[in-house]
Formats: sequence, structure tokens, C-alpha cells
Amino acid sequence: MRTDSVDESLLVEYLLGRLTEKEEVQVEDRAFADRDYMSALNAAEADLIDAYVKDDLAQADRRAFEHRFLASPERRRKVGFAQALARVTEEAAPLPSRIRETQNTWQAFWNPIRAWNPALRFAGAMGAVICVAGGTWLIVENASMRSHLLSMEAARRDLEGRAQTLRQELSQAQTRAEGRAAVTQNNAPSTASRSPLIASLILIAGPSRAESRTEQMVLGRGAQIAHIEIQVEPRDDYPRFRAEVHTRGGKEVLSFGGLVRRSTGDAQSVAMDLPASALSTGEYEIALKGLRDGETPQDLGYYYFRVQKQ
Amino acid sequence: MAADPSMRSGSPEDASAGAGPAAARQKWALTQDAFDRLLNTLGSDRDTAGTRYLEIRRNLVRLFEWRGCPTPDEYADETINRCARKIGDGEEIRDVGTYCIGIARMLLREMSRDRSQQARPLEDAPEPRVQPAALEIDPDRHVQCLRRCLGKLSPETRNLILHYYQGDKGDKIKNRKSLTELFGIPASTLRMRALRVRERLQLCAENCLEGGPAEA
Repeated sequence: MRTDSVDESLLVEYLLGRLTEKEEVQVEDRAFADRDYMSALNAAEADLIDAYVKDDLAQADRRAFEHRFLASPERRRKVGFAQALARVTEEAAPLPSRIRETQNTWQAFWNPIRAWNPALRFAGAMGAVICVAGGTWLIVENASMRSHLLSMEAARRDLEGRAQTLRQELSQAQTRAEGRAAVTQNNAPSTASRSPLIASLILIAGPSRAESRTEQMVLGRGAQIAHIEIQVEPRDDYPRFRAEVHTRGGKEVLSFGGLVRRSTGDAQSVAMDLPASALSTGEYEIALKGLRDGETPQDLGYYYFRVQKQ
Repeated sequence: MAADPSMRSGSPEDASAGAGPAAARQKWALTQDAFDRLLNTLGSDRDTAGTRYLEIRRNLVRLFEWRGCPTPDEYADETINRCARKIGDGEEIRDVGTYCIGIARMLLREMSRDRSQQARPLEDAPEPRVQPAALEIDPDRHVQCLRRCLGKLSPETRNLILHYYQGDKGDKIKNRKSLTELFGIPASTLRMRALRVRERLQLCAENCLEGGPAEA
């Protein structure tokens, strides 16, 4: 059982012996079953003992405490310890509050300035103006860089859009080719059976790992292999990779261990071939993990694609 | 009492029926054979059974302490004796811990009955004869031992314990809030950490008072 919430006042009432037996049993059973709740009860007991020692309890609570707590030697020892602790903590330097610290910092800053002569104050003020101007320049420069980055990001998105269009065109061309192949197959079946079609899909990492997109893969009637390439980032320099293919519902389809990274032009990618028969129309997820000896597999990204079977 | 899944047959009521703790002690004492049977019920190997036994006894002592019993250890032992007796009589007990808690509650009812025979309103009760300040231990020596134990802690832990328990009501709340910010941990975690240090310190101070090493 896990501690969801702890009613502090209930614990205090329990310790002072003010609950009904049914309520007492509930508190005790929960304490024995849940270690966190037991700790909360022990902490409430310590605070109650401290309040008694520091004379912070109301008269009725004090009497109930004495009746209940001073009965056993173990608890009397706890009271004795609390008295010693109260003496030692009183002697310790108080903990400055955060607000007080901040106030003290400002006072420490302004007090010496007040004592300066007018010429020194003027020089100080000029220095402050220069600092403010410098700060403003930095802010403007920063904003300009952000704007530049945004335009680069827009250009990148534009390129991705064009890549997407090209992929769609390729997919349509493949479909047309399959149509033609089917016609050819009817005319010359022996030739078609020797040249199985491969459907390809390239999955690109999003601008951030949290962002995911759904790509489309069309598997024609004659397609036997689905070739999938996942582009990886240069920093993902793992000796091996694992790709786990699941349906969007979480059902495992296939798992590829021992995949290696390869260069495709400027980019790096991991490729795998799936039997087309393992895929049906629907959405899929690929979880890509980096593998290194002696280390736990690292999640590198999740990629989503839709299969359209014809 | 509602049916308890921990018990296949028999119940704590049977174990405590008839006599109060003193009377039961006179009638029956724990034998080596009965204790061995109890341990066998708690676990197949001796170490596991021993650990479980200590855990059950610790819980029983806490229970009697919470309920204001003057001799929690004695009552915890009496509870275990009654349980061992039941096992010796051939009773099958599935969960000894829960069964013992049941017996303990029966004993508490007996204790409460004994008290109520001489009951009077709390307001009419006399002030405790021994004020906590005048408990058996010399308070100055206690403080001295506590300082020695504090000296063994790391500065961070010492800072935590001193400021966590420093001040009265409002100051205490402010201190604890500042400490959660300082250490960057939730209030509940801070509370548990402070309690663990406090328990270690108490043990260390008591060792020191008994002439043992002050190791916090």
C-alpha cells in the first residue's frame, strides 16, 4: 500500500488517545502496511514531544500527552532526548530566511553608496548607465540571432516539405509501376515472379525527439519487402542499434537487433527490411535504441508510419 | 470480530480468552519447542524467520506504546507467548503478524478493563509525580552527549537537524520551508530525513550516556 495523503491532525489525535477504537485500528493497520505512513506517524510523535517540551501544547493536550506518553520508559527517554535537542537547537544560530537574506543583500549594496561624495556617486551612476546600455545591446543582439534561427528553421521545414512531396510522387510512381508489373505478370508470369517489388520508406528525425510525424508507406499487391531507413543524428554514435516495430496498439510485430549505422550521403542512417506479409494496413511505431556493451539500451527516438496495403 | 483471512482456524479472542496477561503468564511459559514451532511458521530458514520475528515484536512494542501501555515490551512478549501457545496446540495460522496484532488488541481491551475498574476523569487525575525534566538522566550530561554526537555528523546533516527542529510553531514552519528550498527536496522527504537523523542522534546520545561510543 502506498501513502496517498497523510492527515497530520488525525495522527496527533491518535497519539493523544482521542480516537475511537475503530479509528485507532485503521491508523495502526495502515502504519503496519505502509512504511511511509509509519514514518509520518513517528515524525508526528517527534513533533508532539517537541511541542510538549517547549510548552507549546494547550492545557488539555498537555494532560492527554502526560497521561499517554509518560507511561512507558521508552517514551520517557524520547522526552529526555527532546529536552536536550531543544537546548542545543536554541543555542544554534538561526536560519536566515530567504527574504531577509535578499533584504540584507540590498541593504549591504546601498548603504556604502549613500556614504559616497557627489562626484563618486555621479561616476557610479555613469557606470550604471554604461552597464544598462551594454545589457540592452546584448538583448537586441540576442533577439536578432533568434530571428535568424527562426528563418533557418523555416527554410529547413520548407526542405522537409519538398522531401515529403518527392516521397509521395515516388510512392505514386511505384504504385503505377506495380500496376504495370501486374499487367506484365498476366502476360508473362515467369518474369514477374523473379522480380519481387520492394517498398521503401525513409524516416527522418523531427526537430526535437519529442516531436513525431506519421509517414506513409504504400505496399502494392506484389510487394514482398518493406525497406525502412531511419536517419540518425551524428551524436548517436552507437556501435549497434535495435529497432522494435509495434502496431500503434502496442502489439509487437518484429524486432531487429544488431543493426549498424551507415552513411547515406551527408546523413547517417539505420536500415532494415521487413517482410511485407508482416505488415497490414494500419499505423506502426518504431522504437530505435542505441546499444553499447555494458550499458543499458538508450532510447533514441520513436518513429511513426502508416501502411496502406493495396 | 470480522473474519480474518490470516487465520484458518482459531482467533486472537481464543488466544486471549479467560485470563489477563499476568494470569496467562502464570499458567503457561514459552518453551524452546514452542518457540521453534513459532519460528518454523514464520519461515523455512532460521534467518528469515528470526528477522520476521523481530519485525513482529517491534510492531507489537510500537502498538502497545502508542496505546499508552506502561510496559510495552512485557505485553509484546506476552502476545507472542500466546501466539506460540496456539501454534503449539496445533492451530494453523497463515499470517502470524496479523494474528499477533489481533491478540495484542485483545490484551489492550483487557488492560483497558482493568484500568476502568479504578477509572476517574482525566481532569481529576493527579499531576505526574515525575516531571519529564527530572527523569533519571542528568540533563546537562545529556546535552553534552548530544553535542558530541552532533560533532560526528557532516556539516550539512548537522545544519539540517539543528534548523529543522529549531524554534517554536511559526518559526519552525518557516525554517522547514527554507530548508526544503535550500536542499531542493519536498517537505515529506525532508521530514523523513530529519527523523532518521534524529533517531540516529538519540541512539548515539543514549550510548554515550551509558558510557559507550558516541557514533552518530
